[in-house]
Amino acid sequence: MAKLVLNCTVNGEPAEVLVQPWDTLLDALRERMGLTGPKEGCGTGDCGACTVHLDGKPIASCLLLAMQARGHVVLTIEGLGRPGALHPLQDAFVRHGVPQCGFCIPGVLMAAAALLTENPHPTEEEIRYGIAGSLCRCTGYTKMLAAITETAGAAAGRRS
Amino acid sequence: MSTVMKTTRDVKGIGLSIPRPDGPEKVTGQVQYVADLSPRGLLHAKLLRSPHAHARILRIDVSRARALPGVRAVLTAADIPELKRKAPTRAHAVLAIDRVVFAGQPVAAVAADEPAIAEEALDLIDVQYEVLPVSADPLEAMKPGAPPVADAGTEADTSEAQAHGSVAGVTTEAKPAKAVNISQQARIQRGDVAKGFAESDVVIEKTYRVPMVHQGYLEPHAVLAQWDTTGFLTLWSSTQGSFNTRSEVADVLELSENRIKVIPMECGGGFGGKIRALCEPITAILARATGRPVRYVMTRREELEAGMPAPQVIIRLKTGVKRDGTLMAIEGEAVLESGAFSGAVLAVSGVFLASLYLWPSFDVKGFEVLTHKPSIAAYRAPVAPQTIFAIDSQMEQLAKAIGVDPVEFRLRHLQREGDKMANGQPWLSNGGAEVLTRLAEHPLWKKRAEWKASSPKGRLRGTGLSLGGWLGGLQPTGATVRLNPDGSVQVLTGQVDIAGTNIALAQIAATAYGIDVDKVRITTGDTDVAPMTGLSAGSKTIYTVGVAVMEAAKDARNQTLEIAAKELEASVHDLEIDNEKVVVRGVPDKGITLAQIGKKGNLYMSKVQPVLGVSHPAFSQQAPAFCAQLAKIEIDPETGEVTLHDFVVVQDVGKAINPLAIEGQMQGGAVQSLGMALTEALVYDDKARLTNPSLLDYRKLTSADLPNIETIIVEKPSPHGPFGARGVGEPPIVPAPAAIANAIEDATGVRLTELPLTSERIALAIASAT
Amino acid sequence: MRRFELILPESVDDCVRALAQRGPETKLLAGGTDLLPQLKNGLLKPARVIDLSGVARLRAIEPADGQGLRIGSAVTARTLELDNIVRARYLSLAESGALVGSVQVRNLATLGGNLCNAAPSADMAPPLLALDAEAVITGPKGERRVPIAAFFTGVRHTVLAPDELLVELVVPTPAPHSGGNYLRHTPRRELDIAVVGVASQLTLANGVCTKARIALAAVAPVPVRATAAEQSLEGQPVTPDRIARAADLALEVARPISDQRGSAEFRRHLVRVLTRRTLITALARASA
Repeated sequence: MAKLVLNCTVNGEPAEVLVQPWDTLLDALRERMGLTGPKEGCGTGDCGACTVHLDGKPIASCLLLAMQARGHVVLTIEGLGRPGALHPLQDAFVRHGVPQCGFCIPGVLMAAAALLTENPHPTEEEIRYGIAGSLCRCTGYTKMLAAITETAGAAAGRRS
Repeated sequence: MSTVMKTTRDVKGIGLSIPRPDGPEKVTGQVQYVADLSPRGLLHAKLLRSPHAHARILRIDVSRARALPGVRAVLTAADIPELKRKAPTRAHAVLAIDRVVFAGQPVAAVAADEPAIAEEALDLIDVQYEVLPVSADPLEAMKPGAPPVADAGTEADTSEAQAHGSVAGVTTEAKPAKAVNISQQARIQRGDVAKGFAESDVVIEKTYRVPMVHQGYLEPHAVLAQWDTTGFLTLWSSTQGSFNTRSEVADVLELSENRIKVIPMECGGGFGGKIRALCEPITAILARATGRPVRYVMTRREELEAGMPAPQVIIRLKTGVKRDGTLMAIEGEAVLESGAFSGAVLAVSGVFLASLYLWPSFDVKGFEVLTHKPSIAAYRAPVAPQTIFAIDSQMEQLAKAIGVDPVEFRLRHLQREGDKMANGQPWLSNGGAEVLTRLAEHPLWKKRAEWKASSPKGRLRGTGLSLGGWLGGLQPTGATVRLNPDGSVQVLTGQVDIAGTNIALAQIAATAYGIDVDKVRITTGDTDVAPMTGLSAGSKTIYTVGVAVMEAAKDARNQTLEIAAKELEASVHDLEIDNEKVVVRGVPDKGITLAQIGKKGNLYMSKVQPVLGVSHPAFSQQAPAFCAQLAKIEIDPETGEVTLHDFVVVQDVGKAINPLAIEGQMQGGAVQSLGMALTEALVYDDKARLTNPSLLDYRKLTSADLPNIETIIVEKPSPHGPFGARGVGEPPIVPAPAAIANAIEDATGVRLTELPLTSERIALAIASAT
Repeated sequence: MRRFELILPESVDDCVRALAQRGPETKLLAGGTDLLPQLKNGLLKPARVIDLSGVARLRAIEPADGQGLRIGSAVTARTLELDNIVRARYLSLAESGALVGSVQVRNLATLGGNLCNAAPSADMAPPLLALDAEAVITGPKGERRVPIAAFFTGVRHTVLAPDELLVELVVPTPAPHSGGNYLRHTPRRELDIAVVGVASQLTLANGVCTKARIALAAVAPVPVRATAAEQSLEGQPVTPDRIARAADLALEVARPISDQRGSAEFRRHLVRVLTRRTLITALARASA
């Protein structure tokens, strides 16, 4: 079986990459494009570690075949921000001491970023449900909630 | 060792909430875990695992798998000369030889160009099994005539107990004849239990059950192995202890330890499940067979089916009390289901059952029982949450039965420093009473009657609390502290930093040396370069490695001052370090900068020694650490759904080196504890096969299930920890199951004794009670 | 995942052609949230996979020719959850969409996938049963319509022939003064699967119930309607007593099993509780 050519946009840049028909988007990002920020924690969509944005929406990239992303826009944690130019959520996660083992963090951040895009002023309940697809085993989520709440509040403050 | 450092200036060091410096790398996906490594020529490993929990292997045919293009190696036990017939540990059972003893046990291994090809190769391996009867239930497995698990002559494995520094001194008895699956057995007794019950006004007897649960780290086990042409092995591993991994792999492969380098990669959570070697040996063997780098990453299904979970614990307790509140007697029997290999920590249960509270008479037996399930390992405070669930539930019921305040009842009987534990050793300094007292002052506890009375129609509200703890782990360890030519300080250990311990160690070094933490860099070295360092486990990183770092930093400071004394022609006793400069006290313009001293140790032809502080301590004194937790809940009695409204964690940390990191430990531990309390269980069928091998059905709590976790830090200094610090990691996972069970009883009047306290158990118990 | 050939059609006709030329082992891929875990676990080992994501028609939501709404089979759970028309007319269906998995899963999971996977616990089935929806199926012999109540034939089995494709669901517009509700019980609040799911739909006229629909998930091999319970409500005012009696009658069609998600006893208990609660909500919404 010959490899297929996947054309899509990844982190703002057009990408043309050879993938296997059975590669998931997560496989393609990690193994074919060197974007190892998204993690595989379960492979079945039950942990959220692989969360990326597809056309701005958070998805479990372990459940999408790479070729299903053809023509779509993909954003990974590497495109959200980078050391020295952190996204406000990333900055808040650092300051609030959220990351422990860190494995869930890229997925949580992508879920949180999508939530704030869709709903800039979420209630605590909305944040809790917004990131409930991302399991974290280290933090108990409390500091995540604080960091997301603070970021949303700061964003609201800037707008007003 | 606990002397308070007298620095001449307040440096930015211990006691400050400083975010970990690698945070930006963690939040941008830049930190590297094993699965992120793809060296040139990488092969992917997959393991064929037994579908049966107990079977004889009659024949394995790998010829079709070997013929598949892209397959580079297919191995069975016959291809691995080092394998021992009687595997003493799980790590040694690399591939099953002629018998499988749990479902998911590896039978054959494949390395291939792509994971998909490796998986197809597994499909092409033909194994003929003769299915044998299983021991699926520990109580049945204890009986004579039960299907045997271990090969005769296999020794009990107590290394886990040692690794966790739990209490020795519990006498081990010979096992009764023909009870082939009892692998460890112990009994502790004092006084006349029968007399105690006879004189009791209230006797309560209950059996508590806690199922096997998984540590639940988000990163599955992963290892990358590569040999060089001289036969030197490098392992990139997700491990809680690189030196332990090196020792175990060396033992299994019959290799000298200096032929192996273990590079500890970023560890995506361990919680005890990544202490023992698991897939390192087979990955190394595949790499040897192919001459290529081989990466093995377990799937989540494999993790759940064939990881190393916590044991099922079944505790029968009988307790007697007089109407005036006098404790009389406790009789207990704890059965720890260890799965297919021995390795449970038996002593923890005995100590907490018999001597957390002061029982005039006790008789507690402990059994480790083998079954045809994956063998167990540590899980954050091994066996403590399970044991505290039993004893604390029992204390609550005794208090209720005689109508006394449950907090006062616990405090009255709680053993204090100097009281004798069941094993004869005295309790060391601890804050058990302090944390419980502090929690009882919390408004949520004081207002529990109002909360209960405020239940809306169709809902039941309640509050519960519990007290638990951890005795503290110990392990020899080492650290070095260097002064750099630019005056900055460099700390080296082999400590695997999972939770953010490196920043706390850097803070310790900063305060001990007398320099701001911004000027301290700390590195986790691999096993070739780092001083021997213990596990990241057992709540002992700060307690032990912290001492090593503190002593090495003091050593470096003394060396620095001695060099300065010579240079300044002053007495060492008159010197202080102020603002990166050694100055003569009272003569502020007479000084030499740390950079100048550092440079002198690095210049060609210089006669000044470089500053290199070294410490490699061993330890004998534990620091017990206690945690009290409160749950304020609301129950939908028809569906059994529990809503957590508030959860409070009060913990004695001795001295909070980095409060921010400590809060994270308290919150995370509490949520693991709540998962064990409410939803988590590995559920096996009667053939000992796992029925819920996914994170959909193995239910860790999500953010939607939880309230904010309030943390209250209590500081009762430990006599031996660095600056008085105690271990922090284990205590917060201990109390929640009992706190929730107590809250459920407060809300509904129903007492539940089997974890998890699922909506089903709650709803059906309420339905049958009404 | 094992290897397979991937086919990327761009129209329903392409799909039908690809299906007609299919080898013996072809699977249709929509959102992948059920299929990919089965591929990864080796439960399915197809030689070919047909990806439906390139077929625009399957993602459409548009008015049906007669009355009602056509919802393409590849419409995601997240779209059902948020779509204004679906929320306004078929709130129970939107509620079921909102409950699937997590938001990362709901952005992928599709209506057609949920139905064609044919798990007894499929969340979107009970609302569609309660709404009298029809499945539009196409194949080499043309299009056919099947009432959703007849769509499921067993655990993981439907009326779809190997060469057929579920194109869309046609959901009739409920009469005025109608209301519905879907509830399910799960041990967790997100990332979970129904232990029991119940959808109720009531239509009122002059204080009398003119139409009642109650459908249950995860209590039988296929999603089922509780017809005796429905009939007990029709033709009279809906009172608390009648709701309680309907909840009891709903149990008649429940044949639950015990598994790792819940015991048969708990499932029977939940059928009563959830039927009563959905009827109370449906009544309130119909009366509003």
